[in-house]
Order: sequence, then C-alpha cells, then structure tokens
Amino acid sequence: MAYRAEPPDGGWGWMVVLSAFFQSALVFGVLRSFGVFFVEFVAAFEEPAARVSWIASIGIAVQQFGSPVGSALSTKFGPRPVVMTGGILAALGMLLASFATSLTHLYLSIGLLSGSGWALTFTPTLACLSRYFSRRRSLATGLALTGVGLSSFAFAPLFQWLLNHYAWRGALLLVSALSLHLVACGALLRPLSLAEDPVVGGPGAQITSLLRHSPFLRYTVALTLINTGYFIPYVHLVAHLRDLGWDPLPAAFLLSVAAISDLVGRVASGWLGDAVPGPVARLLMLWTTLTGVILALYPVAEAPTGLVALTVAYGFTSGALTPVAFSVLPELVGTGKIYCGLGLVQMVESIGGLLGAPLSGYLRDVTGNYTASFVVAGTFLLAGSGILITLPHFFCFSAPTSKPQDHVTEALDTKVPLPEEGLGED
Amino acid sequence: MCSLTKHFTLAVLHLEHSNMTVEKNITLERPSNVELTCQFTTSGDLNSVNVTWKKGDTLLEDNYLVNATGSILYTQYRVAVIDSKQMGSYSCFFGEKKQQKGTFNLKVPEINGKNKPLITYVGDSVVLMCKCQDCLPLNWTWYSVNGSVQVPIGVPVNDKYVISGKHANETSLKITQLSEDDQGTYWCHAIFELGESEGHVELVVLSYLVPLKAFGAIVAEVVLLVTIILLFEMYTQKKKKPSDDGKEFEQGEELQGLENETRVKQVAIILMGQSNIC
Repeated sequence: MAYRAEPPDGGWGWMVVLSAFFQSALVFGVLRSFGVFFVEFVAAFEEPAARVSWIASIGIAVQQFGSPVGSALSTKFGPRPVVMTGGILAALGMLLASFATSLTHLYLSIGLLSGSGWALTFTPTLACLSRYFSRRRSLATGLALTGVGLSSFAFAPLFQWLLNHYAWRGALLLVSALSLHLVACGALLRPLSLAEDPVVGGPGAQITSLLRHSPFLRYTVALTLINTGYFIPYVHLVAHLRDLGWDPLPAAFLLSVAAISDLVGRVASGWLGDAVPGPVARLLMLWTTLTGVILALYPVAEAPTGLVALTVAYGFTSGALTPVAFSVLPELVGTGKIYCGLGLVQMVESIGGLLGAPLSGYLRDVTGNYTASFVVAGTFLLAGSGILITLPHFFCFSAPTSKPQDHVTEALDTKVPLPEEGLGED
Repeated sequence: MCSLTKHFTLAVLHLEHSNMTVEKNITLERPSNVELTCQFTTSGDLNSVNVTWKKGDTLLEDNYLVNATGSILYTQYRVAVIDSKQMGSYSCFFGEKKQQKGTFNLKVPEINGKNKPLITYVGDSVVLMCKCQDCLPLNWTWYSVNGSVQVPIGVPVNDKYVISGKHANETSLKITQLSEDDQGTYWCHAIFELGESEGHVELVVLSYLVPLKAFGAIVAEVVLLVTIILLFEMYTQKKKKPSDDGKEFEQGEELQGLENETRVKQVAIILMGQSNIC
C-alpha cells in the first residue's frame, strides 16, 4: 500500500465532502428536527414533555461520549467499516423505536442504540475529511457542515408530513430507512494512507500521547469553554425575545434568519481559513472573540433593529467558528492522530455543551431575565479564545507547518483537539 | 320557573348611521332570560325612525321597548329562552327601508372535535375526543357515518366501543381492535336543554403494509447505492492494478527509504525545533 506524503486536497476528497455533508444532515438534522415527534410522544404515551425530551438528550450524550470509541475503531480498522456499522445501528434504533410501547423503550432504542450509531459515524467522517485535505481543509469542512443547517430546514416539515400521513410509528419506520443512507455515506469513505500513519501507532498509543500533549490539552479546555457559551442563544433566544415582548412568529422567524447567516458564515469562514496564511487558530480566536462580544451586547440591545442586527451577526460568527475549529486540530496533532484527537475533543467539550444551557437557565431563574445568561456565555467564549492565544505558533506569520514530516516529529507529543462539531450541534 | 330567573343575559349592539351590518354571537347553555339592546346613533330626527324586530324572517309584534335619549335611540327586546324554539337569530332594524341592522345569534356552545384526520393502524386502539370550552352538556352521544346516515354507537354495549369522559365538558370514544371498516368520520353530539351541538373527528385506519412498502423501497435503494459505490471502487482499483504490479516492488523499497529518511529528519527537526520559536 502506498503511503501518501501529502493529503490529496481534492479528487476523491470531494466525494468525502459529499459524504460528510449528508452525514451531518442525517445525524444532526434528524436530532434537531426530532422535536416534531415529541408532541406525538407526549400524546401517545401520556408523559410530560420534560421526560420525552430526555430521548434527544440521551441520544446526544451517547453520540458525544461515544466519539472516542468511534475514533479508536477508525484508527484501527479505517473509517469505512466503522461508519457503515454506525449507520446500521442508527437505523436499527429507529426501527425498534417504531414498535415502542413505553417511553423507556424509546430511551433505549433511539437514545442508546441510535446514539451509538451516530457516535460511530460523525467523528470518523470529519476526521477522514481532515486527512483528505490540507490546503483547502477549512473550506471542505465548512461546506460539509452546511449539511446540518440545510437539513434542519428540510427535515422539520418532512417529519411533520410523515407524521400526518403515517402516524408516529410509520414515520419512525421511514426515518429509519432515511438513516440507513448513513451506510451509503460510509461506503464513500475510501481509506487513505498517509505517511505519518505507521509512526503514530495504534489507538492506545495515540490516546496516551495525546493526553500528554500540552497544546492539545489547552485546546480541549478552550473548546470546552467555547462550547459552554456557544449554544446559549440557540436555546434561549426565542424566550429572551418573548420576554421583550416579541410575538412567537417573528421570534421564530428571527431564529431562521440566524440559521441562514450561520450557513453563510460556515462557507465564508471555510474559504477564508484556507486563503489566509498562518495558523488557523488565529481565525478561530477572531470568530470566537467576536461571538463573545456579540453575546455580551445582547442585553444592551432593546430596539428590534438592534436585535435583528445582533442575531444576524451572531449567526454568522458562530457559524464561522465551526469549520475553523475543526481545522485547527490537524495543525496541532497532525493528520495521523486525527481520529483519536477528534474523538477526545468531542467527548470533553460536550461537557461544556451539557452544562451551558442549564447554567443559563438557572441564571435566568435567579436574576429574572437573560442578561446574566448572555453575559456569562460571552465571558466563556472570550475565556476560551484567550486560551487559544497560548497555542504554539500563534504569532507566526509564515505558512502553517502541517507537513507530515513535521507532524511525525511532533506526533509523539501533540494531539490537538479539534473544535468538534459539538460546538455547532445542539 | 325558578331556573328562569337565575340567568339573565344582556347584550348590546351599537349602530352608527352607516350601511353596515353589526352582528353578535351569544352562547347559551341553560334556559335564561335574554335582553337584547340596540343603540342607534344618528344626527337626524329620532322620532321619525322606524324600529322593528325580527326573529329570522318573522316580524316580532311585542316584547320590545323603544326609548330615545339625546341623540341615541334605544330599543330593547326581551325573550325568555326555555328550549330550542327560542334559539336563533334576532335582528333589530332602524329606518323605513331597514338600512341599519343589528343581529344577535343565539346559539348553543360549539364543540371541537379534531380538524386533522387521526391516523391509526389495523389492530391498534384509538381514543376520539370531543370537548367544548366552558360548557356542561346534559348528555353526549356518538355517531358513526354509514353512507350519509349517522348511526348511533354504543347501543349494543360491547367491548369494542367505550364511551367515557373525565370532565363534563369532554367526551371520549375508545375503539379497540381497529379494522379498515372502522375508517370514516365520527360525530359527537352534545345535548343541551336548548338544543344540540356537534363536532366531528375523522379516523383513518392503515394497514402495516403501507409504510412497510415505502420502507422496503428505501432500503432497496440504499443497498443499490452501496453496491454501486463499492463496485465502482473495485473497478477503478482494477484499472490501476496491472500498471501497479511493477511499481509496488519499487514502492516497497521506496517506503523503507522513506521511513529511514523520516527518522533522520525527525532527529534533525527536533534539534532545529528547539532553537526556533516560529
């Protein structure tokens, strides 16, 4: 087998982008649109909404905490078999859910089984994508991640249509068939052998060396902080607007506007990340700082025009930081250790994501409005971006040294966590 | 006769001198005394304005008063609503040509069924519900539709249909062992002293084959996609293979060389790396 010295930066890589696009859609688009089913579950099982929403929470938690497993398996067997197995598990979970007779049944089938399937698909795919690109890595990642935003637009009405025509059991059956396309996406992930692969060793060795790599650890901490503040507007914006006297329909519409500017931000930032020389970490710091500042400005804006402008800006900057976040990791740990690195980062930063929303809600309950929540979220983001300054080569103006030979030397001491899509996914 | 004096409903309509028709809906559940008042404001001579009351199309002769204060003309109609015969539309008319009209619609409370059809599967059970906002009907009855005729349900008491209601303002019909014959529209009637009100729920019963066929089609499509992708890859690999055989041997040697080179470079870069910052 030939080991390539450089990632191909194109060619079959674009098929991997396509695969990653559909995978983001099928994993996070489905998760985000699942709220449509919850109304049906509340009626069908006669359980309160809080208990039903645990289904999604368990699914997300399993997906994030299971990421290292997916990564380790991909390092050993290559991404293709792992992702295809993940697709089968995800579809199987939905299939079993269509026979559910109780809420616990759904926790296990959708939450645990489908969640495990998702854990085996998403992280390995993005890591594989990072291996296929170096010069155009940010753009490729940005394009792939647009799948999340676009699918949320498409899946919510689609799921509602399915529910209207097949009731929730039939609809779950068809969502299962839809999720099976993850297997087809996995088939597209042709294994790629890069020069540094034999040097970095198996998954166990990689994880150990990653955990001793100081920049990797700092990066993980930065991402966790960023993740804590990142979700707050998505979760609380509508409620904040309602507090200010907005009607539900314009508030929901504003959220859609934010989603569109998020999409634009992702692609623009992806392109920018590749076009600007120097470490990508600087761009990440730029976007993170901007997002933090915007969040801190939210309580100050009272007029509708100010809020709309802030929301559009927030959408753009928060979308912009996602592809760049993924691109920093290969520069820090090298493409050889990317699977394990990505998995570890996803797992740790998910703690931030899990804590962020309840913390914000708690602050709101204690203070009576969302001012404290937004300011704290902004602070977390700024703190995270502050830590990014400490990453190696931050102040260099030369091109980033992501050549395989250099990574081979660094391979034993640095594993940089990539800002996981966890940042962007709710 | 005592119950009549308990409930006294007042309703007032204001009419200006314009050719608009003003309407008001009054919801009545129980027998009560109803007082309908129309106020007419005009700048002209009030005494020359002709006032009449009608119920539906029937002219009402008595039970109404006419009063003028300043530039406002009042007229009041009283009716004791005892049963459904007194329900309907009452209108007050002002002027010879009856240009100004105010209408009071006396109705029983509306029942809400469900606007969207309920989808169920063969063998399932389903609960159909009807309810109204703030009402206390005397009785609820359910009907299924056979052709264009409403057939009462629950007359022969069996396990298939169970009619119950947790509160007085709602009713539920539970149907078990659904089959495709149970498909159709179901009507719920609420019986009040002053009349009947109805709502409807549409039930659709599907067989499991319906989504299963769609499922099978999509799974077949995925299998096809995967096969095409893998076959395409094998095909492109095969095209490379004949020319690769010669190269592989060289690559093996090259690889060894590359690894050695890499190790040398490793040492070199470690040494270099410690001296530069950038």
